[in-house]
Amino acid sequence: MIEASFMSYISLSILLFSLGIVGLISRKNIFIIYMSLELMLNAINLMLVTLSKYFADIDGQIIAMMVMAIAASEAAVFLSLIVAMFRLKKSANIDDYNTLKQKGTL
Amino acid sequence: MSSNFLAWIVLIPLISSAFLGLLYLYSIKFKKVANSVFTFFAILAPISSFIIGLIFFISLANGATDYMYEPYTWLGVNGYIISMGFLGDKLSIFMVLFVTFIGSMIHIYASEYMKDDEGYGKFFSYFNLFMASMLLLVLANSPIIMFIGWEGVGLCSYLLIGFYFEEPLNVIAGNKAFIVNRVGDFGFIVGLVTMFFYMGKLGFDYYALQDYVSLVPTPVLTIIGISLFIGAMGKSAQIPLYVWLPDAMAGPTPVSALIHAATMVTAGVYMVARFHFLYDLIPNVGLFIAYIGAFSALFAAIIAMRQTDIKKILAYSTISQLGYMFIAVGLGAYSTGLFHVFTHAFFKALLFMSAGAIIIALHHEQNIFKMGGLRKRLPLIYTVMLIATLSISGMPPFAGFFSKDEILLKAYIHHEYLIYAIGLLTASLTAYYMFRLFFITFEGKNYTNKKIEPLGWSIKAPLVILAFGAGFAGFIGLPEVTGATNLIDDWLKVWSGSSLHVEHSQEIIFMSISVIAGLMGIGVAYVKFFKYDFNQEVKYSGIIYNKFYIDELYDAVFVKGLQKLSVFIAVVVDDGIIDKTVMSLSNGFINLGRRVGRMQSANTRAYAFFMLVGISSFSLYLILKLG
Amino acid sequence: MTDILFLILSLFALTGAVGMITLSSTMHSALSFVVTVMALAGLYALLSASFLFMVQIIIYAGAIIALLLFIIMFLNIRQDHTPKEPNKYMTMLLIAIVLAPMDYLLFTAFARMPHIEDFSTKIDNFGDIKMLGNALFRGWLLPFEAISILLLVALIGSIVLARKKERR
Repeated sequence: MIEASFMSYISLSILLFSLGIVGLISRKNIFIIYMSLELMLNAINLMLVTLSKYFADIDGQIIAMMVMAIAASEAAVFLSLIVAMFRLKKSANIDDYNTLKQKGTL
Repeated sequence: MSSNFLAWIVLIPLISSAFLGLLYLYSIKFKKVANSVFTFFAILAPISSFIIGLIFFISLANGATDYMYEPYTWLGVNGYIISMGFLGDKLSIFMVLFVTFIGSMIHIYASEYMKDDEGYGKFFSYFNLFMASMLLLVLANSPIIMFIGWEGVGLCSYLLIGFYFEEPLNVIAGNKAFIVNRVGDFGFIVGLVTMFFYMGKLGFDYYALQDYVSLVPTPVLTIIGISLFIGAMGKSAQIPLYVWLPDAMAGPTPVSALIHAATMVTAGVYMVARFHFLYDLIPNVGLFIAYIGAFSALFAAIIAMRQTDIKKILAYSTISQLGYMFIAVGLGAYSTGLFHVFTHAFFKALLFMSAGAIIIALHHEQNIFKMGGLRKRLPLIYTVMLIATLSISGMPPFAGFFSKDEILLKAYIHHEYLIYAIGLLTASLTAYYMFRLFFITFEGKNYTNKKIEPLGWSIKAPLVILAFGAGFAGFIGLPEVTGATNLIDDWLKVWSGSSLHVEHSQEIIFMSISVIAGLMGIGVAYVKFFKYDFNQEVKYSGIIYNKFYIDELYDAVFVKGLQKLSVFIAVVVDDGIIDKTVMSLSNGFINLGRRVGRMQSANTRAYAFFMLVGISSFSLYLILKLG
Repeated sequence: MTDILFLILSLFALTGAVGMITLSSTMHSALSFVVTVMALAGLYALLSASFLFMVQIIIYAGAIIALLLFIIMFLNIRQDHTPKEPNKYMTMLLIAIVLAPMDYLLFTAFARMPHIEDFSTKIDNFGDIKMLGNALFRGWLLPFEAISILLLVALIGSIVLARKKERR
């Protein structure tokens, strides 16, 4: 039986974070990219809470709460951006969002 | 008389200048203002200054101490304090008196001379500014305040010489005057800065400097003295910076009169006299000044012998007479030099204004070989011009005789026989070229009778007044042999230098020698030009006519040299080196940007991947480093 | 007991995450993410962060994911809107390889921290709402206010961004 030790939580957090990065870079679907970002935030939150317990310090949980608040505001802005971009490009493919591409030569 | 009236001597012309300038702008923009309005304010200013100066003069004559007025601190940095200050001592009030007097006369004269000019108001605005600058120069209580006036005078000369700016040559003449003066001013600034560096600690007015000067090492004083004299060379048109003065004839004749007689050129002499405490300690520099003066006197006199333009002849005579003044101040006889400044102001103003009257009467004809026979037709001008010419030629009892004779005597007393000889030769040449001018203008035969423009009273009246001055101004400096007191030496006692005396019999011999020298010059001129035949061909060539090609030499060496240098810097250094470096640098960045720009693929995932690679490699580094 | 719970919850979390990043349908992927979020909430509870447990369910599962699902349905994302990703597994493998050093570094770094025996035991009142509130309004007041302003800005920003352009 695996002991639910400090390291097991940390390992889970690192794994989730890595999965988030993998999803972020490998996928082209803008929604999945967004969810990967959220997954990374969640992984970090888990780590913060684990460390909060480890050090018996409540500040870790407060930071996790702040991260959630930021994630909420991010969700609002990000989703409105997606709505605006989707209206413009009629596509959920991040590779189509290339307005900043250098055109021609200098 | 409270001392703050000193400031009003400068302020009245300055305010008047600003007022006239604004009025002129109003006049050309909105409604035409009558000339008489300009005339009234323009003439009022120098006369008011003259009256204030006269009151100060009387007060000083009654034994009052020097007036000092410091309205405010101009600059105060870490103990170095420069006050805006005015000093009314015997020297400056003496200068104020004749500057404002001659200035007033020239203003009155100019009111008629310029009456048909469109820029009438502008002209008098400049004129009053000129007076204000000169008075500030004279009344300043420290070298720095003096420098304000010094530069103001330079600016006004530029504005006035280039007054008829539609003619490109006049503009070039104005530029030349300004640039040559800049060369001199650079020397003055060097002197000023050096002086400030070494002596600026205990205040910077003349009194403080006078107290401090003996503590400064002689080499430093020598540098200061020579630098300041370079400034004087520029302003007072001495070798080698005299070239601007003949060209300055491009301005209206009253301007020439003002520059040559009352203001500007005398600034150099005044400056040396003002720093007498400094030059007293460095007699070698003084001797250098005297020699420069002597050679300038001779050189200008030789050039003047062959000129044909009436104003150019007078311009060279000014350089020559200024040379005399520098002989005197260089030898430490400041009061003698200032005496010559004083008499010269009268007869030179008179000469220029007479020349102006002739030019006006003959409808702007300046070549003396196209005049002739004017004695009958301009009898008043003939009379006053004769007085002025006799005066400059050093004929007794006219003003020039006393001052010039005293200078020559001082040269002899100081055992500078070469200077004495040059001075005597120059006196003779002066008599020659002035009477050459005089005879060709007023006498001769076979001249063409041109129509004469009538002259108004405001031209004639100043001429008559100045004629009295040119005739009798010398009596304030009578030599010892006459038994009278030398009023000017008495007045400027501090500046009269070492009192070496000669015996009376010797003095009379020297007087006779200079009179004979002058008479010889007059005699030669009489023989050659009294019955000058105007039908003969005039020779417009020769090395002397072309002023020894000095202008061409300067042009070839300095102007062309500078142009070559500028072209070299512009083409080789700027285009070739600096621009190339900068451009290759910027082109390099552009190329780099083009290469790196390909990475900006607008592929967000690629960016994220780059970031990931960065984090990974850094992690790898940490793993290897920390284990 | 907690060990078994941890095992189950972590299994759910990982499965949900893997499902989220691999499923091709946006809708399925989002639903899979809900599983992860809920599992994480359970893990917070195990870590005696009882308040965060509720917040996670309310905000993440209740608000953020619901909003996301709502947007997906609102925009009516169809199959032809979503990109074709034929070789996404190869990409994932590549990224996983590149990612390995970072994971290793993190893991070793945490592994070197001193070992604690009674990690699973519960501390009294730790992480309950009273303790959290005390800490939040004493030591973290300024960040708290800053966050509130940030939320306001996000509110306004999202309205501005999502609004339809008016023709002028």
